[in-house]
Amino acid sequence: MKTINRQRFDFSTLGRSVARGATALAVVLAAAGAAHAQAQAQNPDALKLYQRGLAATCANCHGTDGQGVVGTGMPVINHLNSAEILKKMLDYKSGALTGTIMHQLAKGYTDEQLQTIASVLGKK
Amino acid sequence: MNRRLFLGQSSALFGAALGMPGLARASLNKAQIVVVGGGYGGATAAKYLRLLSNNTANVTLIEPNAQFISCPMSNLVIGGSKTLADVTVSYDALQKKHGVKVVKDSVASFNAEKKTVQLASGQTLAYDKLVVSPGISLMLDSIEGLAQANQAGVTLQAWKAGDETVALHKQLASMKDGGVFAISIPLAPYRCPPGPYERACQVANYLKKNKPKSKVIVLDANPDVISKPGLFKKVWAEQYAGILEYRPQFNVTAVDAKTKTLKFDVQDDLKADVLNVLPAMRAGDLAVQGGIANANKRWVQVDFKTFESTAAKDVHVLGDSIQVAPLMPKSGHMANQHAKVAAAAIIAQLNGWEINPAPVLTNTCYSFVNDTQVVHVASVHQYDAAEKTFKTVAGSGGVSTGPTDLEGVYAWGWARNIWADSLG
Repeated sequence: MKTINRQRFDFSTLGRSVARGATALAVVLAAAGAAHAQAQAQNPDALKLYQRGLAATCANCHGTDGQGVVGTGMPVINHLNSAEILKKMLDYKSGALTGTIMHQLAKGYTDEQLQTIASVLGKK
Repeated sequence: MNRRLFLGQSSALFGAALGMPGLARASLNKAQIVVVGGGYGGATAAKYLRLLSNNTANVTLIEPNAQFISCPMSNLVIGGSKTLADVTVSYDALQKKHGVKVVKDSVASFNAEKKTVQLASGQTLAYDKLVVSPGISLMLDSIEGLAQANQAGVTLQAWKAGDETVALHKQLASMKDGGVFAISIPLAPYRCPPGPYERACQVANYLKKNKPKSKVIVLDANPDVISKPGLFKKVWAEQYAGILEYRPQFNVTAVDAKTKTLKFDVQDDLKADVLNVLPAMRAGDLAVQGGIANANKRWVQVDFKTFESTAAKDVHVLGDSIQVAPLMPKSGHMANQHAKVAAAAIIAQLNGWEINPAPVLTNTCYSFVNDTQVVHVASVHQYDAAEKTFKTVAGSGGVSTGPTDLEGVYAWGWARNIWADSLG
């Protein structure tokens, strides 16, 4: 059994341990960016799969890979870059932005998860 | 440590070393993945298995219906403001755009030991991974006389959207003014918690405009409205007073088709002109007959990190069929979310990767209270590793402040986007 070389990687950008207090955009981006880089070095394919899976929780309303159906009245997000998506989500989460539903959903994600979602869905 | 994954990998290695290919886990690009059921769960699983594998997974979807007909929004067809065509979506994109092999057939049975699926047409398919998303089956036998009343065409459920949806609208449209439309609701859990209350609104909305002397009576086996109680009761008081009557703790025990009468545990019999009797529900027949409905013989217990059945290895079960986690609704939105977690887990297992330790699910259910106004309930569910279940996040989720036209726009935006996300 010892000979089995299991692939291990850092799930910290998917984890639930919130970087408490790291609400400033730059801090969140820097912290998550560092964790992201570390994880990338260990198993990029698996990490990419789970990051894409996390972002897919948004797709029911905002489209597969963030490409929403145009002209339905549902806000389309594909023109926003990662920083813009993250700012909106953090503002919904903090209560700075109100909506019909997004302020309720944003509160269910950790800041790190919101960063991951923003990095996947942001316009490249 | 994920013991199952560890063992899976070790047996694969031993199998390869000893020249026993039968023991080896199929790698992703060689594996045959069969998805049973093209509803919100199965269609999404088929699409995302292709998408998340960068189109390398071999995916076959077995679905008897030629087109997808959405249960969400179908109450508007019963109320008459929409047609079945408005809630119908083609399966073509799954095949043509995403490379899913769509087979128009139904599954008679599966064998989890031999890893085969028997189609109704007689063909047998071998699988490495099976995804079962069979929806619910109605326990007609739980109400005396219901099966006979259904056969006689007296009672309808319309709890799987399709011909019955249209037929129930016709019953409503042909009811005399001054008539009674009865909707009965079984004890939770059942498919679509707000669905019966939305339907009551749609029927009341139709009656208010077309047959104002008539009534819709909601007979609920539960002690109170199961979903969005404050919002529904506010709407009933403000918009449907004198038309919609809500009666909690009315448990239907029998139906008399000849006299169109409902009988209850406790209360006096009720005669009605239209009887929309919803019995208790359980996992789809395939799950029950396949022996994987191991929660109370009604629902399928799954490992929530993979949605793999606890009763059958390499059989993943999605949507309304599962034994839910706390506060997890049996909804189309939720089935779509199950499918994405399962698809990622299946790809990880076939690649020999560690399973995502922290999957996330969301839910949103919009309900139309008339032609244009809508209320919602929303939630976010994070995986709890210690308790091995999903839990809603404290402080997240919630309901509308009241019915609005804006949310009516978003509800259709939701429908068009989730249809595209699941099938497009």
